[in-house]
Amino acid sequence: MPPLLDRIRPLALAGGFTYAVSYLWAIGDFSTMGQPAWDLLAGDPALWLQRREAFRFEPIAMLRAGHIAWLVNPLDILIATGLGALLAVNAQGAWILRHRPDICRGRAGGTRGALAAAPALLAGGACCAPGVLLTLGIPGLGAVAGLFEWLVPLSLLMLAANRWWQRRQGAPGWFRLPAARGRTRHVG
Amino acid sequence: MRAVSTLLLMLVAVAPAAAQPPVTEPNVMAARLSAYRAAVLPGGPGKDGIPSIDRPKFWSAEQAQAFLRPDDRVIGLYRAGVARAYPQRILAWHEIVNDVISDQPVSITYCPLTGTALGFRRGDTEFGVSGRLLNSNLVMYDRATDSEYSQVLGAGISGPMAGQGLDELRVVFTDWAGWHARHPGTQVLSTDTGRLRNYQRDPYGSYNPRGGYYASGSGRMFPVLHESDRYPDKREILGFRDRHGAVAVDLDTLRDHRVIERELNGESYVIIHDPVLDTGWVYRGDAEIDPAAVTLGPGGPEFPGRERLRPVNAFRAMWFAWAAFYPDTQVIDDAAAAR
Repeated sequence: MPPLLDRIRPLALAGGFTYAVSYLWAIGDFSTMGQPAWDLLAGDPALWLQRREAFRFEPIAMLRAGHIAWLVNPLDILIATGLGALLAVNAQGAWILRHRPDICRGRAGGTRGALAAAPALLAGGACCAPGVLLTLGIPGLGAVAGLFEWLVPLSLLMLAANRWWQRRQGAPGWFRLPAARGRTRHVG
Repeated sequence: MRAVSTLLLMLVAVAPAAAQPPVTEPNVMAARLSAYRAAVLPGGPGKDGIPSIDRPKFWSAEQAQAFLRPDDRVIGLYRAGVARAYPQRILAWHEIVNDVISDQPVSITYCPLTGTALGFRRGDTEFGVSGRLLNSNLVMYDRATDSEYSQVLGAGISGPMAGQGLDELRVVFTDWAGWHARHPGTQVLSTDTGRLRNYQRDPYGSYNPRGGYYASGSGRMFPVLHESDRYPDKREILGFRDRHGAVAVDLDTLRDHRVIERELNGESYVIIHDPVLDTGWVYRGDAEIDPAAVTLGPGGPEFPGRERLRPVNAFRAMWFAWAAFYPDTQVIDDAAAAR
């Protein structure tokens, strides 16, 4: 069994994948159906660039698998993948910074990474209201609904900034495993 | 050359007017247009981010049975012998259907946040969803002049059509069982809308049973111009308004009385309950109506002397929304009906 240090990348990848799926669920690309169905519905492929919201696009296919429906748009998947990848490298960096003080200096920044990922999960909307407003139901919160479109770029920016900060603290790159402070061992 | 330029300018000037939606005198407004414009808020999606259905396709009633349960909500329209039902679960994702029924171009509009369904004649233009809200209610725009309209006011609030009233037609927000019973041959808007959505799910909640945003105890989301605690926010009333004023009718009271005659705002009104569709039909004018003589046909109530009365559009609305638009509304409830 490989040491925990070697297993951090698969664990971080699993975390990033889970986050990407959660993001697609939060924006409504994944949803549940009361009546199960098994099919793939093709939509108009010309709509793939058409925005529903600032960072949410028209689906061009719908995969129905049992009680789950997946509205497919390549740009939504690209954004989810980008967010998930950034979260994965943040998680890897945070873990190494925390558990390998011999090769790194400073704090881990894991909490910052997790907080940076949160805004995008709040960005998903229903038809004419951000989903978080429907969930929280706080009267008057809709007054700031126009700001919700900035949550996805805010997450991307914060995750990228935290990753930059981790690297400055000595966290190794994704494709490098740490050896000792000042040196890295290249794998692959 | 100058003549050609002049002609082109005239064409440009005339084209929007020719395509603009039909207009009438606007109904009562509680605020100035500038106040309405200042109170408009972004709802989240941008313009046409909620896509209207512009080429609707229809199922037969039999085909629709696989999609609709008896107590699912539909928006029903009957005109010149043709009945159409627009399922609420589809409209929740699109809010506007630009349709043609009996050669009449119409727009069926629905706002999930205020529970309001209204029909409008649209002429040669189409309506779209602006992505903005006034009093938590749908703000539409027309694709000829780009003017914006409040759905509940039924009037333009900005652009060239500001201050103009839209030409409304009666639609009924009711349940599928009632509409199907009244119109067995009805057509039903199908899920082949040109867009892909999970039409099994209403993103706001459920009318069947009440849940999510539609639950009686749930809160509003967007600020409104006026608040009232007379009834719970999400309680449905039957509202009607004309240029004389606005009236909210408590639905339980209407069910109990079946026919209510009232002098309101200096005018006489008759409100007749329709037990099949669980709605009310409103008429303005003087008439003594014998409830036993009222029969209900496909187009609504029929009774002696109906031709002397003027129909007034009426629609269900969540109380908070009605009170927000019409803070001076009169209310007919048990106490008022007993007078």
